[in-house]
Amino acid sequence: MRWFNLLKANTKKEYIELKRYLPNTIAMLLTFYIIFIGMFAGIQLIGDPSTQDSNIQYAIVNYIFWFLSFMIINSIGYEIINEAMKGTLEQLSMSPMGMWRIMTTRLISTTLINLVIVIVLLYLSMATAGQWLNIDVVTIAPILLLTLISMFGVGFIIAGISIILKQVQAFLQILQFILMALTFIPLSLSPMLAFLPFVKGIDLVREVMIHGATFSQLQVGDFMILGFNALIYFVIGLGVFLYCERVAMTKGLMAHY
Amino acid sequence: MEPIIEVQNLKKSYKKRRSKEYVHAVSDVSFKVNRGEILGLLGPNGAGKTTTIKMICGLLIPDSGTIRIKGIDNKEKRLKALRHISSVLEGNRNLYWRLTVKENLEYFAGNRGMSRKDVSEQIEDLLTKFNLKDKENELVNRLSRGMQQKLAIAVAMLAESEVILLDEPTLGLDVETGYEVREILKAIVRDYNRTIIISSHDMDVIQDICERTVIINQGKVLTDDRVENLLKLFEVRAYTITLGDPLSSQQQQLLLQKFPQHDYQQDAYQSSLNIELAKSEGIYDLFDVLQLNNTSVEAIDRKTINFEQIFMKIVKGEKQDAMVQSS
Repeated sequence: MRWFNLLKANTKKEYIELKRYLPNTIAMLLTFYIIFIGMFAGIQLIGDPSTQDSNIQYAIVNYIFWFLSFMIINSIGYEIINEAMKGTLEQLSMSPMGMWRIMTTRLISTTLINLVIVIVLLYLSMATAGQWLNIDVVTIAPILLLTLISMFGVGFIIAGISIILKQVQAFLQILQFILMALTFIPLSLSPMLAFLPFVKGIDLVREVMIHGATFSQLQVGDFMILGFNALIYFVIGLGVFLYCERVAMTKGLMAHY
Repeated sequence: MEPIIEVQNLKKSYKKRRSKEYVHAVSDVSFKVNRGEILGLLGPNGAGKTTTIKMICGLLIPDSGTIRIKGIDNKEKRLKALRHISSVLEGNRNLYWRLTVKENLEYFAGNRGMSRKDVSEQIEDLLTKFNLKDKENELVNRLSRGMQQKLAIAVAMLAESEVILLDEPTLGLDVETGYEVREILKAIVRDYNRTIIISSHDMDVIQDICERTVIINQGKVLTDDRVENLLKLFEVRAYTITLGDPLSSQQQQLLLQKFPQHDYQQDAYQSSLNIELAKSEGIYDLFDVLQLNNTSVEAIDRKTINFEQIFMKIVKGEKQDAMVQSS
């Protein structure tokens, strides 16, 4: 129940802040849409007409997932920086729930709110492009869940680094391109890429949304890799975060800089 | 009385940047805080107060030493110990400025795992007691600094922790709000049976609300005593006597013999005598000297020492002298 109260409090806070910073939120969504229009126009103008539909479909899925991963992973880093600057980070770390639990609920609440935004953007993109993808919720949901857990793991690593270094804005800007590479990269390049965080998950989502694969058509091995990635990245991420938190408490880095 | 906080042999050093040297922020600090007490933690800048407070809050890990909160070691069982502690370390900076007063209270309660339903009554009570009821839907960034400070304390109260640590709770507040915050702090202990540890440079606040003070300097405890004991210890029998007539040379000679530590000043309009009497010296001996020439006495003012002066004396190492004199 304490976990649920924590999640409720953080989801409400995220939602309120999104509403209070409405112009910022609208600007962010407009930027997303304008970049998508640019990509769409680019594919139509200079892309190979024979693969145009397929390219647009790939662009939609990859771009949507890049946006989601960017919002989840980068935002946790920015949140830590902001909390440290505001002076609230110390208050968070004084909670008897533990900062890792607060960060977990922050990641979940950010994901829940951004999933709603992403769904709206997905339909907007599909409507703009006139390309309707296969939205098989039953098949996509477990893939997405396991993929998100590995994203949370990466999010924890970013949060941990941000606690110690604080001024990581430049790194976070580079990170968005790393995330872009991870979401746009096709798994056909190398099977080993499946073990990078969320590459396998996005590949499976592409199979479902673009090629219409159903749950029964997916291999057990695919889910095993997804599960393995989710577990490993989450455990590593949490371990790094807890280690960074301890370093911060030893060196006195929790206060604003 | 059972102590609610026990700090023993606390040590904390920081490595200097780009150097192999260490700064010893806290060298050896030990003290106890009893339940329902308001303790003042004092010291000049860089004495180690904030480091000590942050170690008690579990925000800093000590190099050595132990901190027990309700008997729980906050190094071994940090989260369990944190259930009994809340703090206002940076005043209004501890709040979310883009949330309203009520949203802040609800958020911080939720962050400790409490449900909105569980705390709704408590929130109403705190809003009323802290005179924030009519501002409950106001964004924090639109509140005055005093109100923000009161809200930060209310947030700490909401945690239901038995110990509240406050770092400079009246810093930057106007006189009226400063007094209001003092009254709130007294009420917290009286009505809610909480224990408060305050770190402040405002000695009036400390003298007004603290029962006991721990004064630290250079990371070490200089004194741990009740405020009234310290006031008594440093009490001086010092007087300024305004005289209607100048003293004769015979009187001045006698004064020199009997009260070598006096200061006599004479100008065209009036004479004054500043004198600090030792334990063995009586004020009647002084009057005997003044009576010799029937010197008229226009006023006698007794000098009082305030807590700020006592603090300065302790920091300068004059406590031992005072103890020797008083004994």
